[in-house]
Amino acid sequence: MFEGGRDVVDQIIARLRRPVRIDPSLDARVMERIATLPTPRRAGAVTAAWRWLTEPRHVALSPLSGLAVATGLVALALLLPALARRPAPTIHELQFVLVAPHATAVSLIGDFNDWDPARTPMRLASAGGAVWTAVVPLSPGRYRYAFLVNGARWLADPTAPAALDNDYGGPSSVVTVAGS
Amino acid sequence: MTPRLGLPALAVGLVATLLARPAAAQDPRLERLDAGTRPLVAALVDSARTAGLPAEPLVQRALEGTIKGAPGDRIVAAVRRLAADLGRARDALGPAASPPELEAGAAALRAGASPAVLVQLRRSRPQRLTVPLAVLTDLVASGVPVDSAAAAVLALAATSRDADLVEFRRAVERDIGLGAPPAAAASVRVNGAASQARPGPP
Repeated sequence: MFEGGRDVVDQIIARLRRPVRIDPSLDARVMERIATLPTPRRAGAVTAAWRWLTEPRHVALSPLSGLAVATGLVALALLLPALARRPAPTIHELQFVLVAPHATAVSLIGDFNDWDPARTPMRLASAGGAVWTAVVPLSPGRYRYAFLVNGARWLADPTAPAALDNDYGGPSSVVTVAGS
Repeated sequence: MTPRLGLPALAVGLVATLLARPAAAQDPRLERLDAGTRPLVAALVDSARTAGLPAEPLVQRALEGTIKGAPGDRIVAAVRRLAADLGRARDALGPAASPPELEAGAAALRAGASPAVLVQLRRSRPQRLTVPLAVLTDLVASGVPVDSAAAAVLALAATSRDADLVEFRRAVERDIGLGAPPAAAASVRVNGAASQARPGPP
């Protein structure tokens, strides 16, 4: 170190410690300049939500989770049409009646029971009588049907309209349930 | 194969399988058909389902043929014809028609009603058309000429409830049973219903 150098340092310190004189018009000029700048708009909740939704993100998904998500989407696609269907229609109970004096067994067969003779056996209204009845729950629609007597003889319902769309011949009747 | 490639492929396969399953699954009730008829009917049912037509009436038509002992080619022809009628009914009634409406529409077409009648009915009546179409078909089955039956139903459909239409059909059938000519019976009953509905002098 040398003595002359210390004087110089002291002079610099003294110089730096002197109060700085600022132009009195500086504040006014700065504020004036700020006033000319465009005011930034504050983002609303909708804008913020939109930014949050549209901002790209990296989503980490394990292969198993991806498979589960894919399966869920497929199940949803399959279920949606069923969910969008109309509400379940009202079910009506219809009574079918046939007078068959010499019958030992009568089946009601039609579009409502897959034309299966075993599904809707008719019952005698009274023991030893000739009136056979069956009650079938039906949703609204048009149904074709017939009676099968003693497992061999087809009969139409004498109280119902005949089926015109009878592709196989033999007697067939039609019942229409309203509400569809 | 690396897991990175294998799992997506598995997912795609699963998706394809799930999507394809409803179309390919055969209705177990068709097992009642003989082996030669079954695939032909199943193909017709699948085609109808793919076209957005109700499959249930086709299955029922095939099962009816089986219990009635019809030969296979007759069953296939009946199912094919019904599918075509359902398609024509949908064309006339519109894509929003319900399956019961389509079935009733197919029967009405089979009875001789023109597609234009179905279109007119759709325009004139905001409610479902199952009952008006069924009444039209039933009138024809009772002997009423199809033009008379169509005119009667068109005259009543716009303002009548389903129950009124059914009662109209019963009245016409009663008149026919008592000896009235079918066309006249329908005409008289339509005029009677119209005069009841029309406000007249006190």
